[in-house]
Formats: sequence, C-alpha cells, structure tokens
Amino acid sequence: MERSEGNIKKKNPVLECRNVGRSFDSYDGKGKNEVLRGMNFEVYENEFLVLFGAGQCGKTTLLNILAGLDMPTEGEVYANGEKVSGPAPERGFVYQKTSLFPWMTVEDNVGFGPKVRHLPEKECKERIRKYLDLVGLTGFEKSYPSQLSGGMRQRVGIARAYANEPDIMFMDEPFGHLDAQTRYMMEEELQRIWQQEKRTVIFVTNNIEEALFLADRIILLTNCPTHIKQEYSITMQRPRDYVDPEFLRLRQLITDNMDLTL
Amino acid sequence: MVEKKQPKVQVRNLTKKFGDLLVLNDISFDVQAGEFLCIVGPTGCGKTTFLNSLTKLYEPTAGEILLDGEPVDLKKHNIAYIFQEYSTMPWLTVEENVRFGLDIKGVEKQKANKLVDEYLDIVGLTKYRKYYPDQLSASMLQRVVIARAFATQPELLLMDEPYGQLDIQLRYHLEDELISLWQRTGTTVIFITHNIEEAVYLGQRILVLTNKPTSIKQAIDNDLPRPRKIASPDFVKLRNEVTDLIKWW
Amino acid sequence: MIDSTTNSRFTNKQLIIIYTIISLVCLLIVWELVARFTSASMFLPPASEVLTAFFRSFAEPIGQHTMLFHVGISLYRVAVAFLFATVIGIALGVGMGYSRLFEAIFKPLFEFIRPIPPLAWIPLSILWFGLSDTGKFFIIFLGCFCFITVNTYDGAKNVDPELMGAARMLGANERQVFFKIVLPSSVPYIFAGLQIAVTAGWSAVVGAEMIQSNEGVGWVIIRGMSTGNTVQIMVGIVAIGIVGFILANLTSALERRLCAWNAQKGI
Repeated sequence: MERSEGNIKKKNPVLECRNVGRSFDSYDGKGKNEVLRGMNFEVYENEFLVLFGAGQCGKTTLLNILAGLDMPTEGEVYANGEKVSGPAPERGFVYQKTSLFPWMTVEDNVGFGPKVRHLPEKECKERIRKYLDLVGLTGFEKSYPSQLSGGMRQRVGIARAYANEPDIMFMDEPFGHLDAQTRYMMEEELQRIWQQEKRTVIFVTNNIEEALFLADRIILLTNCPTHIKQEYSITMQRPRDYVDPEFLRLRQLITDNMDLTL
Repeated sequence: MVEKKQPKVQVRNLTKKFGDLLVLNDISFDVQAGEFLCIVGPTGCGKTTFLNSLTKLYEPTAGEILLDGEPVDLKKHNIAYIFQEYSTMPWLTVEENVRFGLDIKGVEKQKANKLVDEYLDIVGLTKYRKYYPDQLSASMLQRVVIARAFATQPELLLMDEPYGQLDIQLRYHLEDELISLWQRTGTTVIFITHNIEEAVYLGQRILVLTNKPTSIKQAIDNDLPRPRKIASPDFVKLRNEVTDLIKWW
Repeated sequence: MIDSTTNSRFTNKQLIIIYTIISLVCLLIVWELVARFTSASMFLPPASEVLTAFFRSFAEPIGQHTMLFHVGISLYRVAVAFLFATVIGIALGVGMGYSRLFEAIFKPLFEFIRPIPPLAWIPLSILWFGLSDTGKFFIIFLGCFCFITVNTYDGAKNVDPELMGAARMLGANERQVFFKIVLPSSVPYIFAGLQIAVTAGWSAVVGAEMIQSNEGVGWVIIRGMSTGNTVQIMVGIVAIGIVGFILANLTSALERRLCAWNAQKGI
C-alpha cells in the first residue's frame, strides 16, 4: 500500500502545538529548569508523525502535554480546534513500559476504556474481539500480562489504546525495551495495524531506524531545552527496507544532524 | 583472520539441559587471544543460558570450557563482564566503582591507584571521579562500567548487549570507544547481542546461533576495514547475510 | 543460587521440607537434653513431658475446657478483632495514601498511636470496657491494626503514576481510578500487612486474656503461671506457636491465590 504526504489533508490540523514551553522547579527550589521551549507544529489527519531525538530530555514531557496529561507553562495545545485541558478518551496513549494493569487479564485490559466509559456490554465485547484480532492476540484473552512476552505486551498496549477508538494515538517509545529483532517485528506490525485502522499517530523514539521505517514526517528535536531543529518529510514507499540506499542515506543525514550528548 | 596459536578460549561440546529440556546443544568453538568475537542469535535463542554457562553460573550438563588450555576457574582466571544493566554500585563514587574490581582481585594499593587514574582518563571521566552514579548520564555510567572492567586487565571480557537501550549516536560513540580500547589493550572480547548491525560493526568474527536448542549455525569472518561504514555496500551485504541466517520476524 | 538441575533424588521443595523437619527434631532433642541433664531442669520441663501434656490436653480439660476449645475461643477473639482491624486499617491506609487531605488529618494521630504497645492499653481497656470480651477485642485490634494501615498506606502511595495516567487517558473518572487502579494495585501490600497483622494479633491474645477470663490459650499460660505449673505454661506456648505457624501459612497461601498476577512478576 502506497501512501505519501500528498494524501494528507494539510488543510485541517487535528492537533496544533502553539509556542509550547515547559519549565519545572529545579531540585533546590531556587531556579527553573526549562525543558521545552517554543514548540510550534501541527499534526494532520491520519498522519504518522515521529518526534525523534536523543537523550531523555523533553520528549516524554512534550508528549504528555500534547495528550493532556501535563500542562505547559507557556503556550497552548489545540485538538480539533479546542484547547487541551486534560486527558480524554479521544486521545489514546501507548506507553514505553506498556503500563498494562497487571491484575487484569488481557481482555479486561483491552476492555478497560470502553467499560469505564459505560459503553453497552455488547459493544465492549465486540471491541475487545476486534482489536485483539487486529493486533494478532486472539486466543490470549484470559492471559495475564506477566505471562506474555515483551512484544505481546506491547500489542496489548496498542489494542487497549485502539479499543477507545481515539482520534489521535500517542506512542511514547513503545518498543524501547524490546530487543533489536523483536523491535523490527513490532515495527512491521504497527505499520500493518496503522494501515488497516488509520489513525493520526504521534510517535516518540530515539531509534532512527524505527523513525524512518514508520514516519510520514520526522521532527528532529534537540536537547535541553528541547526545541525543534529540523523537519523531514519521508516519502519513501511502504513497506520500507532498512538497508535500502535511500533509507541509509536519510539515516546518515538525520543522525549527523543530531546533538551528541554524552 | 587471527593467527592460529593456542586458542585463548576453547569451548568443547558445551551442552546444557534443564531436566529433559535441551537448551544448549553441543556447542564448540575457539576464541584466539586478542580476538573480538560477536555472537548473535534469534530472540529467545538461549543467549542467557549460553552466557551463564560460559561464566560457570550454571554447571554445563556436558562439555567443558578451557582458558589457556585449563578448565575455567573464576578464582584463578580474570574474567570481566559487562551487562546491559549498568551495574554500578550506587553508594560508591565513580573512582570507587572503578577501584571495586581491583580491590576484589587484591591488587596492591599503589598499582590500583595508578590503574584507576589511567582508565578514568581513557574513558574521559577524570573530571567526574568524585561523582555518584546517580549524578551521571546513561553513557557516563556505561563508561564507568567499561573502565571498571578494563582496569582489572581481564584475560577475557564478556559483554552482553551493553548498548541495547542507548540512542544511536551514543551507541556509535561508545562502540568506537570500545574498539579503540580493545585495540589498545589487546583484550579478548566476546560480545553477545541481538542487534545484527552492531555485530557486523564490531566483530572480527561473527558466530550465528540457531534457535533453541541452541547450536552454532555458522561462523562468519568479518574482514571489513575499520572504521566501518554502515551504509557501504560491503557492510550491507554482510548485514543481509547474517540477517538471512537469523530472520524469524 | 539453587540450581534446578541438580541431579538429586529430591526436588527442591522436598529438600526444604526435609530440612524443616530436621531442624524441628534437632530443637526437640536439644530441648530434651538440656531439660534432663542441666540445671535448667528447674525451670524447663523436658520436651517429651510437654508434648505428652499437650496431646493429652485435647482429651483432658485444662480448667473447664479442652485445648481445642481454648484455641477456638482465642481464635474467635482474634478473628473478630482482626476483621475490624482489616476494615478500618485498609480504609485508613488507602485514604491516607490517596488523599492528601485525609493524610494531613489522620497521619499525625496514627503516628502517635502506632508506637504505643498494645499491652500499655490494658489498664485503660479495663476502665473503658470492663472485663468483657470487648476489651480483649480492643487489645488485639490495636495489636494488628497498625500493620495493616501502614502497609496499605505504602501500597496506595506506591501506585505507579503511569497506571493512573493510563486509566485517565482511557476515560476513567477519579472514582474509577480509585477503585479500579489504586485499590487493586495496593493488594499485594495489603496482604503483606495482613500477614504480619494476623501473627501480631495472635500474639496479642495472651495479653488480652490477661484481663479476667476463664478460657483461651492466653489464659492457659496465665493460669499456669499463677499455679506454678511450668508444663502448662509450655503447653500454652506450644499451642500458640503451632496455631501462629498455621495462620501464617494460610494467609500466604491465600495471597498466592489472590495475587497470582503479582507473584509471577519476579520470574
């Protein structure tokens, strides 16, 4: 399936980040730690946007702000034209540590969103079935997260976010704890899932291969305070090949543009 | 190719069973003195069992591991490990952490001081010697661990995917640092990873493992000149070759 | 590290049971020898005598009742107090862990009461409740309530904020976050508390039964003391030890069942 930036409706952004900054009180309480500065960008419908950058600084904070889990100290975030003021089920989140509820079975995890929102029983069941099928976990309904492998847990995490049928999906380094090979598999899986069930995705990673494999657009972030250094439109055909010369060329180009923080 | 003398490490018919479950199946290979050997296998290939058998945490069911022709004895032989978890002691400063390994080996004080200074300098942490691990970044922690391992001047250095969680630039940087330390010291290194590109980037020889029960699928010599270029056609060719041997996803 | 592949005729589990039995037998032998052949025999009756008296006590009454009844009545007292302690302890612990306001109000009071040993309340308990069972419940309650509260509080404080965030992101309101996330993720902590509390409550029963009573294992000991019957004291101690051991094992078995999701985490 082919898809390039031409398909994205540039006209109406589903998410707008307007001059967002975030500072925290420093540990000694005397000063401020500026983590984000002057973030300006839009995200368009059904776009796969990757926020890419090194280090631990800022990326997760930015994602939390976009999702409404944290508030900026400067600027605003708009979702579908409305100011984001808190978490909402229209925005789904997939975590780095998966953050599944360990005392719930796979199906209860996936059904959590629909259930707390009091959707009809039948609808909940249908969604659990549909999204477990989408991520390829049919048959594991009764398993507990601790019985699953890392890759499978991430699939549950993705299904759980999808089950609320959100407009925008936020993914915070979801494959960061997986080994290199499982990671390749999950990247291919996510691409398949995303092409099957189109959503706007904002994906944070520090892995350049992952960014290039998945993204319509990559925003390169720099460190401390985090701000936007460069944007890249990625128009290579899908599915992409990790060792294709163009892939490797872009990889080199973007890596060279990163800051090395030791 | 490394010249064939008495191999530094000889693994002979290493076999490990847990009950009736065969995990390691008759593994034999040699490592030459001063060689940089990468071992790479598919996810879940019994890498940990393999490593634990090498380090004698597990007693193998059959077979033996010889170092300089003698059975491995951790009390006699100096083997250093570097794991993925940054195993620094949080209550010790950087320099105390580096000294830790030397103290355990009973190196005399003056010599230890000298070695600590030397290796802190090599990894560029002299400035941070009085810091606690808590105050350091991930890459600095990894360097503390590397300095600690190299400072004991090990006969064999075992590394288990030490750079798995780092971002790419940092990884390149630390990999280059590792190569230059290895070239300087002539240490024998066995480096285990899931990352095929990393194995091709680092190894003089690549041992490809099969899935469980683990055995050796193929050994590949890697003569690519250093510094290696990940986008060069030769590199990509070798990477693809290894990938084809492993690919399960 | 115990290697699971050790070529042995016994599994690890069997080995552990065997060692436990060896340890108990050794204890009994040493006890017997010390009591028979040293000057300690003045105060320490031999193991064989105590055990015989212990088994006999199931058939022949001590005071008005047999041992089974004494154990039963003590267990009943512990159970009632424990139930109250559990309900109040969990409510207070979760409340303090989850709500800052609740914490500000109750934490200082709780911290004040916590270090006071349950036995110190006996005089007050007699004043307040007289010699009724209520006073005994009260003492045992104080013996176990703090452990449950502290552990529950720890659990509620240590809920992974990311799990709460995940639940909110999925549309959960505060009530749902509390009941569906905070409470269940505190369960392993609560159980750790219950486990300590049940043994603590059981050991407080002796103190509680020092208050005028005519039955119970605590009474057996107190009675033995006042009549100078060392064998009876030891019989009471043995009974308390055995029941405590059984209770501890029962709660941990219950925990393994209820917190299956947590037990596997370590593997």
